Amino acid sequence: MSQKSLHLRLGIVASLFALFLMFYAIPNYVFAPSNVRNIILSPKFWPYVLAGFTAFIGLALLFNAVTSATDTPFEDEETGHPEGSAPWMRLGALGAIMLLVMFGLPLLGMVWTAMLAFAACAFLFRTRHPVAAVVCAVVVPLLLYAFFAHVAGVAIPQGEFVRLP
Amino acid sequence: MSLMDSLAAGFALVGNIEAFLMLFIGLVVGVIAGAIPGLSATMAVALTLPFTFAMTPINAILLLLGVYKGGIFGGSIPAILIKTPGTPASSATILDGHPMAERGEAGRALGMALYASCTADAVSNLALILFAGWLASFALNFGPPEFFALILFSLTIIAGVSGESLLRGALSALAGLLLATIGLDLVYGTNRFTLGNPNMMGGLNFIAVLIGLFAIPEIISMAWNPVAHLGKTRALGKSRCSWADYKNSFKSIIRGSMIGVFLGSIPGIGAAPAAFLSYSEARRTSKNQANFGKGEIEGVAASESGNNGVAGATLIPLLALGVPGDVITAIIIGAFMVHGLQPGPMMFILNVDIIYGLFIGLIVSSVFLLIVGSVAIRGFRFVADVPKRILMPGVLILCIYGVFAVNNNIFDVGVMFVMGWVGYIMMRNRIPAAPFLIAFILGPLLEDNFRQAMLMSGSDPIILFRGPITWFFWFLTCLTVFAITRSTLRKRVPLS
Repeated sequence: MSQKSLHLRLGIVASLFALFLMFYAIPNYVFAPSNVRNIILSPKFWPYVLAGFTAFIGLALLFNAVTSATDTPFEDEETGHPEGSAPWMRLGALGAIMLLVMFGLPLLGMVWTAMLAFAACAFLFRTRHPVAAVVCAVVVPLLLYAFFAHVAGVAIPQGEFVRLP
Repeated sequence: MSLMDSLAAGFALVGNIEAFLMLFIGLVVGVIAGAIPGLSATMAVALTLPFTFAMTPINAILLLLGVYKGGIFGGSIPAILIKTPGTPASSATILDGHPMAERGEAGRALGMALYASCTADAVSNLALILFAGWLASFALNFGPPEFFALILFSLTIIAGVSGESLLRGALSALAGLLLATIGLDLVYGTNRFTLGNPNMMGGLNFIAVLIGLFAIPEIISMAWNPVAHLGKTRALGKSRCSWADYKNSFKSIIRGSMIGVFLGSIPGIGAAPAAFLSYSEARRTSKNQANFGKGEIEGVAASESGNNGVAGATLIPLLALGVPGDVITAIIIGAFMVHGLQPGPMMFILNVDIIYGLFIGLIVSSVFLLIVGSVAIRGFRFVADVPKRILMPGVLILCIYGVFAVNNNIFDVGVMFVMGWVGYIMMRNRIPAAPFLIAFILGPLLEDNFRQAMLMSGSDPIILFRGPITWFFWFLTCLTVFAITRSTLRKRVPLS
């Protein structure tokens, strides 16, 4: 990717986001008391200022992309870039693991969820040490549980099935 | 309270084995994290933060400062051995450190890196002790307009941490400022972008955002390309850094330390420019000018003293003004807040024992760094050989536990994951994460002081220019913006 195309893309996104903020998000999701007459003291003032600056930066990015003479790719662009759909599938799988962690934390408890997440991630990353990965998947969450629950006094979620001391 | 009273109070606070043990552990963790490519000092400080919740404030801050200082030195180990800087500040060390490693003199280069780091660290700590109190007493006269002008100036830090593009850095900062507006309004208590969710009324948790931005993207990158990290490690070799090497490089070390102190005390400059400036000054004045870039030990000394000279000095604006000098000190500000402390001039009155306790701890940290660093150099192989495809799932689990522990709230874990994907998208689009975090921290302070000033003046903006202190910061802000614009235009890449 070149700087020109990157700035073009970012400029469009920033400008659209600023418009979204100014015309939808701020009017609908920022609440100001009706008795505030002075806009400078209103809770909406600061978000509007930031939205304005975002629009300005978006336009500056677009201007930079349009006026940029060169369209050369970044020098340090990732070499050995993985080909095909496998990287995307791994990203999707990692996203799914994160989602399952969110559901698993109240249901299974943090320790068991963490064990499963550790093992799943290690195999997703194609570890060359599967035995070590499984051992770590069991030991690391238990050690962290011991520290946070018994030293730091944090109420680690225990889940609905197996409870730890 | 007299100086002796303050010192005694500081000693009373840190004069126990636990405080020094925390400092020592912090240095060990920092050096190890810095030595593992892909685990930066920033990430190490962020991941250590949740472990400090149950500690006393002084122990917690000492632990984090240990991680910070250890991480900065640790970054030089992979820079020299595998040409991969553990921290951006170690980039200059590659120039001569790696050629030395290729010649079989890695042990000598690492030894010099350690001695230069410890010397610069001591000089930097001394500067902190001398100047922070003086600056804080000056800052006691500040009201909301002065703080607004100061924080606005501090936002120019963003130019220093924006990397290759100022525009992308500014975009990142605006996203951080916008994210900081989530929660209840500071003055009227009305909802802002909370979407009716009670979890968002107190704003997004700082640690969830921080860990999400700095640790999770590395894990997602690992999913994208699990073999990207594989590299070749060099042997230490038999030669060691001698007293003569140190003596010959001493002038460059002291000069580098001074450069580090000067640049570190200015918010936003950071360690990398200090390392490169120190390196270029050493090359300009050295008798062995021709050897620079080919494995000159004085080059290693200069770059390492430059980047370590920054470490103590970045704490000057942090402690005296409550303004972060760089991204790691921004995280440390968060740690102060988690422990109920507000860095800034008032801390020199309300928590003077903690301030002097930190000073004492920092002086000791230079000696500890020498010990930990010497062992780390010998044990580097074990650190470099940690399988990253097991390490990263471990980091993920650590993040989940750590973020949950802040508020005992699963919602924060979700915020961390979302911010992780945001951070990854930013990384793929070459948008730096550091401006986002700094703006996220400074945003509420900026808005709060602005609105307080407006309330004081009946919405008259003239109050923002009410006296010499505000003029001074406005002048500095204008000067910085002018300098940034000029240097950007000189590069012939308009505003990029």
